[in-house]
Amino acid sequence: MAYLVASVAGVVFFAMSVVLLGVLPTRALNADMRAMGPAKLPTLTASEQRGRIVYAREGCAYCHTQQVRYVHADMARFGAPTLAWETQFDFPQMWGTRRIGPDLAREGGTRPDDWQFAHLYAPRTVVPLSVMPSYASLFDGAANQPTNDGRDLVAYLSTLGRARELAAPEGEARAREACHCPDDEMAQMAFEMKELNAHPARARRTGPVPALPSAGDRAAGLQLYANYCAGCHGATGAGDGPAAAGLRPRPSNLSAHRYATDRIAETLWNGVAGTSMPAWRDQPLDRIAALVAAVQSLGQNASVDEASRSGDDLGARVYAANCVQCHGERGAGDGFSAASLAIAPTNFLKQQPFQSVALRALTSGIDGTSMAPWTSRLSEADITAVVHYVRSLYTGDAKEGRR
Amino acid sequence: MNDTPSDTARPAALAIDTQLIRAHGLAAIVTLLIAATFGIVASLQLIDPGLTGDVTWLSWGRLRFAHTQGIMFAWLGNAFFAFLYHAVPILTGRPVTSARLGRWLFGLWNFAVIMPGWILVLAGISQPLEWAEFPLVVDAVVVIALLLAIVQFLPPFFSRGIEHLYVSSWYIIGALIFTALAYPMGNLVPELVPGASGAAFSGLWIHDAVGLYVTPLALAVIYFVIPASTRRPIYSHFLSMLGFWLLFFLYPLNGTHHYVFSVIPMSAQLTAIAASTLLGVDVVIVVANLLLSVRGSGVFPRDAGLRFVIMSTIFYLIVSVQGSLQAQMSINQAVHFTDWVIGHSHLAMLGFASFAAAGGLAHAWQRLPIARYNERAISWAFWLMLVGVLVMVIDLTAAGIVESALWRSGAPWLDSVVAARPYWIVRSLSAIPIVAGFVALWIGLTTGPDADVRARTTVAS
Repeated sequence: MAYLVASVAGVVFFAMSVVLLGVLPTRALNADMRAMGPAKLPTLTASEQRGRIVYAREGCAYCHTQQVRYVHADMARFGAPTLAWETQFDFPQMWGTRRIGPDLAREGGTRPDDWQFAHLYAPRTVVPLSVMPSYASLFDGAANQPTNDGRDLVAYLSTLGRARELAAPEGEARAREACHCPDDEMAQMAFEMKELNAHPARARRTGPVPALPSAGDRAAGLQLYANYCAGCHGATGAGDGPAAAGLRPRPSNLSAHRYATDRIAETLWNGVAGTSMPAWRDQPLDRIAALVAAVQSLGQNASVDEASRSGDDLGARVYAANCVQCHGERGAGDGFSAASLAIAPTNFLKQQPFQSVALRALTSGIDGTSMAPWTSRLSEADITAVVHYVRSLYTGDAKEGRR
Repeated sequence: MNDTPSDTARPAALAIDTQLIRAHGLAAIVTLLIAATFGIVASLQLIDPGLTGDVTWLSWGRLRFAHTQGIMFAWLGNAFFAFLYHAVPILTGRPVTSARLGRWLFGLWNFAVIMPGWILVLAGISQPLEWAEFPLVVDAVVVIALLLAIVQFLPPFFSRGIEHLYVSSWYIIGALIFTALAYPMGNLVPELVPGASGAAFSGLWIHDAVGLYVTPLALAVIYFVIPASTRRPIYSHFLSMLGFWLLFFLYPLNGTHHYVFSVIPMSAQLTAIAASTLLGVDVVIVVANLLLSVRGSGVFPRDAGLRFVIMSTIFYLIVSVQGSLQAQMSINQAVHFTDWVIGHSHLAMLGFASFAAAGGLAHAWQRLPIARYNERAISWAFWLMLVGVLVMVIDLTAAGIVESALWRSGAPWLDSVVAARPYWIVRSLSAIPIVAGFVALWIGLTTGPDADVRARTTVAS
């Protein structure tokens, strides 16, 4: 009899576990989702839905979690902690319990699609130290030829965190109000972040750059360059790394430019929005300084390129007539239409292309950017003159606005 | 009041099951080697990500699915079934329901669950739910097989009357019934309940798979082998039963400790953390009772079956206390998502559960009339597996601490990947003694003298 009672109690305890840890949390979460979620949620498209299935079957969730915890270390790295309503369409959930790679809950908008394609196709061409498996089977032999599965998967990746981005800031206000949690320190953490996506690799157009230690260690920088940059920019900086072919625009040819120190520092810290160049805000400043020194050394055969004539009147006139809209009167990349371009125009004060590079940009344009070929509008003489002119604008590390 | 498993050979009338013991036991080791291979290749891919080229069937995620499902269903499932065919008739004095049903169960388990399960997940048809990666169509067969197992093994207990049950019997009954109840929580419900709620249900199964299926059956083996080998009763029947009921009350309440600091309501998280803490207390009771029962046998007794289960008991204590600690918020915050947890799960499945399963097989084999048994090979298996699991667990625990420190320091993510590499190499190397141990286990159960010869030599000496 005692055992019968115990047996019944055992089943009751099991039922209790389902109620306490399953049913009741589900009810609470459903209530939260209704109250805190935006009135209209963006659903996944058919392609994104199929991509989710690819993500599921390849076990992506076993190295990448999709859940930012209410923990400051998580928030600093990935962004705002995951709210219940954000997971409303996750059938089944893919929160994961192991992070070999970073969390992906806020991956959408962190990287452009061509980076994702190049990375999925051959991860180590983009991130040389990565241990991620290659998913070349989602491609027809090249990073820019994804199969439907590959396209769907990248479409799905772009949805991660999207609903909350779209809901903000009205959505944040609504959620915070419905949360009724002024005294709940942990729940409040969901609304603590200025930006939902805190991923240190997310490129931004502008942003404050911290002061770097004055002298970077060039040897250490070259090692870092090999580990982090060579995949796209190539071993010598010629922009011909193994991942370069799939990227649009192509990675910069670092060995055919001269860069001012703060120009490199800013690019490393903020990335180049609109391109595959990520930001490196997770790197310690001494590493950034070392990389700056290394990148500058890549363009050091600049002396052979010093055939520049200065004070050429034709160049200045051609520039004023054709280039100022984007590149700005002084060449600082701040023309009146610059802000509306997806990728910021080159700042010639801080970045001096070698003659050949500038010439090619003018005659062929820069694929993937708003820089179009000018051969139909400018004569050969005009082009040569304006090449000399923009090269003469370079001020290097001297104070901006010399002219 | 209760019967302690006797060491006598089974009555002739009950011998119908020896074929099934052998079939399940050998299938267990064959599938163990396959499942371990999946794990080893996956571990090598972390060292050389290009190892298997572009063969989608061998990509990391799919191998990981096949590895854990294989260990849980194929190796442990078969090994436990083999043990049940040995233990249930002895515990109850009655045969299992039917040898024919047994053949069906063997066929279903191996050829309708494991084989198609492996093929499907490697082909890319799976569900991304931990410990539940086999797709729904296979899940349906698992449930059928679990129901058949209930029909096969439980009637002998009930026809005898539950007043006379030994603690192993309780664990067997509990394991079979509660696994059937818990299985849909992780395998079906998350397909129907989204996101955070789905995770809450997944958490239930992630823990119940270990707590209601693996742990009770492993403890059933340990509670069975210890008195049968030492020929002494368990230290305290009261403690045995206390441990049993506490385990079945507390284990299911642990689930949400896999999602601490998540959006799942804090009440559920705290319930799970409290239950996890109490569970550590329960395990201390269980292990104290077991270790008091083997007083005088030494930590490494001559009988390899007994040696396996004693070491399993020690692993059980360590892994459970570790589990209680990991559930605490301050520790969970630090080690969650790191290799520490991978070390923990290998301590549970490879240390605790696999040592119990191997001990059960070795114990049953020595008493099987038609089976060969090579004591030296089994002894080798013990030492090789012991070295391997210790190296692996210590290594992964250290890796977890390093990863956690780097993550919290704000260092670039890749720093933690680079720092883990030497630990991953050691982890892969630990597979050498482990697999050698598995092979020794196979040799131990397929070579050596058969029971008649063993009986004669025993008499002669």
